[in-house]
Amino acid sequence: MPRYAMVIDRQRCVGCGSCSIACRAENNLSEGVYWSHKITETSGVFPNVRFHYLPTLCNHCTNAPCVRGCPTRAMHKLENGITMHDPKKCIGCRYCMINCPYGVIYFNWKDGHQFWKDEHVLIEGATSSPAEEVRAAGGKTTPYYNPKNSKAPDIRPKGVVEKCTFCEHRVRKGLLPNCVEACPADARMFGDLDDPQSTLNQLLGKFKPFRLKEALGTDPAVFYIRDFSAANYPRTKGAA
Amino acid sequence: MKSKIWYGLLAIGILLGLWNAYKVYSVGFTLYAKTDVLVWTLPLSTYIFFSLTSAGLAFVSSIPVVFGIRRYDIIEKRTVYLEISVLLGSFVCLILHLGSPLQVIYIFLSPNPSSPLWWLAMLYHVYFVVLLLAFWRIHTKTVSKALGVIIFLIAIGTSTTLGWLLGMTDARPTLNASFFSVYFPLTAFGSGIAAIILFSLVQGQLSDKASAETATELYDELARIMGLIAGVVLILFIWRTIIGGISSTAEEFRAFKHMIGSISYHIELWLGLVLPTVLMLLPAVRKSAWGKIAASFLFLVGMFAGRLEFVLSGVIRPLGQMAEGRPEFVSYMPTVYEFFVAIAGFSVMLLIYTVGTKFFKLETAPKH
Repeated sequence: MPRYAMVIDRQRCVGCGSCSIACRAENNLSEGVYWSHKITETSGVFPNVRFHYLPTLCNHCTNAPCVRGCPTRAMHKLENGITMHDPKKCIGCRYCMINCPYGVIYFNWKDGHQFWKDEHVLIEGATSSPAEEVRAAGGKTTPYYNPKNSKAPDIRPKGVVEKCTFCEHRVRKGLLPNCVEACPADARMFGDLDDPQSTLNQLLGKFKPFRLKEALGTDPAVFYIRDFSAANYPRTKGAA
Repeated sequence: MKSKIWYGLLAIGILLGLWNAYKVYSVGFTLYAKTDVLVWTLPLSTYIFFSLTSAGLAFVSSIPVVFGIRRYDIIEKRTVYLEISVLLGSFVCLILHLGSPLQVIYIFLSPNPSSPLWWLAMLYHVYFVVLLLAFWRIHTKTVSKALGVIIFLIAIGTSTTLGWLLGMTDARPTLNASFFSVYFPLTAFGSGIAAIILFSLVQGQLSDKASAETATELYDELARIMGLIAGVVLILFIWRTIIGGISSTAEEFRAFKHMIGSISYHIELWLGLVLPTVLMLLPAVRKSAWGKIAASFLFLVGMFAGRLEFVLSGVIRPLGQMAEGRPEFVSYMPTVYEFFVAIAGFSVMLLIYTVGTKFFKLETAPKH
């Protein structure tokens, strides 16, 4: 059984956000929910400032605090290391959100894609409402519907917590997670941590990786390598 | 006439709760002032307030049953009944907090003993059943020592497990385990005493019967203990503030430092701890019924605010990617729907208690 992990190469990452868009499309995410997201930081004092970009997602921790704390095992580990959630068992207590040090778990506060139920017409007599468009298109609740995701609900269910699943429904079919597939810079690598010959392990051996909040002992399965900087500076004898 | 108005008010409170449930489950939880950061707010803190008060009442009810101090027999029946009422109030708040309360069945079908929340859920289920049995025994036959001991042990379990539950959150050290595992049982005991003093004496003052006067010395003693607890908690509270809020340079404690300036922090400190301690130190105030009522009421108000303060201190600072595009601290003001949850909890609790005073002769001492 493989133990899946991801390496994100920050030198290759251009910060385009394709991963986040691909994730939303694949998993039918509602507005405001980011299973794949980013942390942006700036350093320095104007005019000498720099922008840092760190793509983020569920770390699929080996010692996952969300799994340990979930009272109903709705949040659980698969044998392949993926941290999954079962909406049928989730009571919506949000304890996993309190436990997660990375802020990657989302609670579905309302039904997904409510925009498409809106009967409001922007320009009377000229435009149609979102609900009218849906009816005209065949009466589906939402036109944005990805049927590939067969295990998880097609539309995100209300009142439960959810998060990145490493696109487990794709991985089962031998496909890559959609964020990895969609990355135009090939900055994301997904593979088996238990295979010493995997590209993943080659990268981890070649570059010194870091993981988020390692001191907490969660043992994340998302590794970051390298950093991007096109900057240079003149050599001096040390006076700064 | 007075009682009709009282029942009417409670009915309005419960209707507000039902309206709230309908709106929340039809529209969504966005009606609460919650974001992906503020995941635990007033509904949960009200639940914690009720559940800890209930545990405190269990400690009070165990004084005659477990420890054999028989002069407390006179308040035993009222204490156990009040415990049931308060616990039901807590369940109302919990149900309105949970996203999918019907799936609570999976606590039994898919148990996770590594979760403190699972243990809490199990303890509360057992607690409620045992409490009902214990009250039934008191009402119909005699006090059951075995049931009393079970209730006492469960109360220790629930009030300390809450410390474990919060202490497991390594990324949020402001929810400090070792502190809260002491602080919760202690404040729970204080809340339990305050609740029984308040409910007994207010009823004594309102009714023509001088039932409360027969136990004046007992209430004086309880008031002394409550003042003592308020004082001890005040010292703990000040040390918590100094250690986590002032001395620590760790950025993880910034949320607590931020909360030190909040209204809820100051209500807990001044109204909930300082004033009751001072009032109970003054013999003239301590011996008067209204002095005891005022101190008990203030202690409970302080604890209500305190539960909110500690819940918020764990969540107002976004972690990880949740901090993206957000300020360092997220401000919080409860919505009207969140107030409805608290009002519904209090209304259910007060209605059940009021019904009990009418039908169960709570002032009678049970047989042993």
